[in-house]
Amino acid sequence: MKALIAFLSIFMMFVLAIPVNADGKTELKQYFNKAADKVKATENADEKREILNESFNNMSKILDKVLSSELISESDYAGIEQYKAALQEKQNELTGSNGYQRVPDAQLNNFANYVVQDMEQADSTITISVIALILIILLVVLLL
Amino acid sequence: MRNSYNRLVRSVLCQRIFLSVGCAVLVIFLISCSAGIPVQQEFQKVGNDTIAVKFSIVFIIHGDGDYLYHDTSGNKYYADEEALAGAKRVAEENPLAEVFIFHQKPTSHFLFFFPLRDGEFYYYRNGRLIANELYWRDQELSNLDNEVKFYKTFCADSQPERVNMFLYFGHEIPEFGGAGYDASYPDRTFTIHNLASGMKGFTSDSSKFDLLVLSTCYGGTPYTIGMLGSYARTIIASPGNLHLSYFDLRSLESLELSLQDGDVPAFANRFAQQSFDRLIWDIQTAVSVAVYDVDSVQEYLHSVYPAYENTLNTLREKKKSFPATNEHCDCADIPEYTLPTMNRGVDVFYRPAIFGRLKNKQNHSGWECWKN
Repeated sequence: MKALIAFLSIFMMFVLAIPVNADGKTELKQYFNKAADKVKATENADEKREILNESFNNMSKILDKVLSSELISESDYAGIEQYKAALQEKQNELTGSNGYQRVPDAQLNNFANYVVQDMEQADSTITISVIALILIILLVVLLL
Repeated sequence: MRNSYNRLVRSVLCQRIFLSVGCAVLVIFLISCSAGIPVQQEFQKVGNDTIAVKFSIVFIIHGDGDYLYHDTSGNKYYADEEALAGAKRVAEENPLAEVFIFHQKPTSHFLFFFPLRDGEFYYYRNGRLIANELYWRDQELSNLDNEVKFYKTFCADSQPERVNMFLYFGHEIPEFGGAGYDASYPDRTFTIHNLASGMKGFTSDSSKFDLLVLSTCYGGTPYTIGMLGSYARTIIASPGNLHLSYFDLRSLESLELSLQDGDVPAFANRFAQQSFDRLIWDIQTAVSVAVYDVDSVQEYLHSVYPAYENTLNTLREKKKSFPATNEHCDCADIPEYTLPTMNRGVDVFYRPAIFGRLKNKQNHSGWECWKN
């Protein structure tokens, strides 16, 4: 029994020594990547649009919930608002609203890649605190 | 009687197992804190029988942050790990080079309390790995002091015709503020001033690097080029967003062939062209790579410096009162930056984003500014 405890203790030591890379930003990036994978997996343009639209709507809802939380700071608020605005621009382009030309059917796979790449870049320039990111992760996991 | 004997044996056995395991853990812990290769012994062993070093290359790879990205097939990569692999290939493929690689990693802990070293250093000479050591990065003010110490310890004797290069990989380096650049040290600041101070340490004999490659977003601003131009003759940087797959390092492999004529500016243009070609292959966002001839851009930098400094002061004040994030734009979109000298000394490789508001923007000046 003691040997087992010792073995488990050692195992835990190694686990704890691993740097914690999995954070909220990773969760955000994987969210859009999963949506892009689904877009590319279907041939039907309407389905592709539906998948993208739904992913934008769900993420906007999550960000709204985080914004309404009292736990987030003023700087989190600004960062999340900026992220949300970038998301809205992409949704406008997908649907062809607010001065955008609608993304052609043949370009939807490339547009899905564009969303992943642009959100990965936007993500590195905005500052969102750990608390806000934890809220986002919880909502991504629980609500979707 | 037999039961008590068995219990005694079991108890002694358990104690021994526990002690052995404890010792093993201690040994592993100590090993984890030590160098991969005993540095000095190995260095002295090869020190006398090496071929002349014609190229000296320093890689700083920042990995203490969010560096995850996906390719168009959905595979995930960590930018710092990819850059490290590329740097090692460059080191192994150049028999006439010495290569310093500093990988700045996130802090991790052993048993919650014992911090593990957060930097890893590699030194290659003539294509061989000579030293590999874990080290502590600067714990407070970050001027790359610890990296400079390694450089000074290992650097081969300088030769007049040796080509010196410095490459930095990471997120956009802030021009002011700078808190939160390292995920492990959220209160510590790192700005372009700190990188410039670090480069000064690497070039202490007042010489300059022949080539600086700034593999970050928004490296091509008048302020950043002006600041780092004190320590480099030619700079390759992206004035806009740079995808985390970074610049293509394949041009640096086999330098004895690709830089045979010693013409660094021409090589820089080939490097930029190859990086641009690879990036536009599968990146849908805007791609911009610029080559700056530091001497030739000085007149433009002096002309726009007061305006840029003024904008930075305004942004510093704004950030104090309201923590909004600020946006960049092409300097050519701001009249006071649009001067006849703007294009002198800059070669720009640019393709707009395939989607988005700026998809019809066909040119970029090579200079990025802050939106007022």
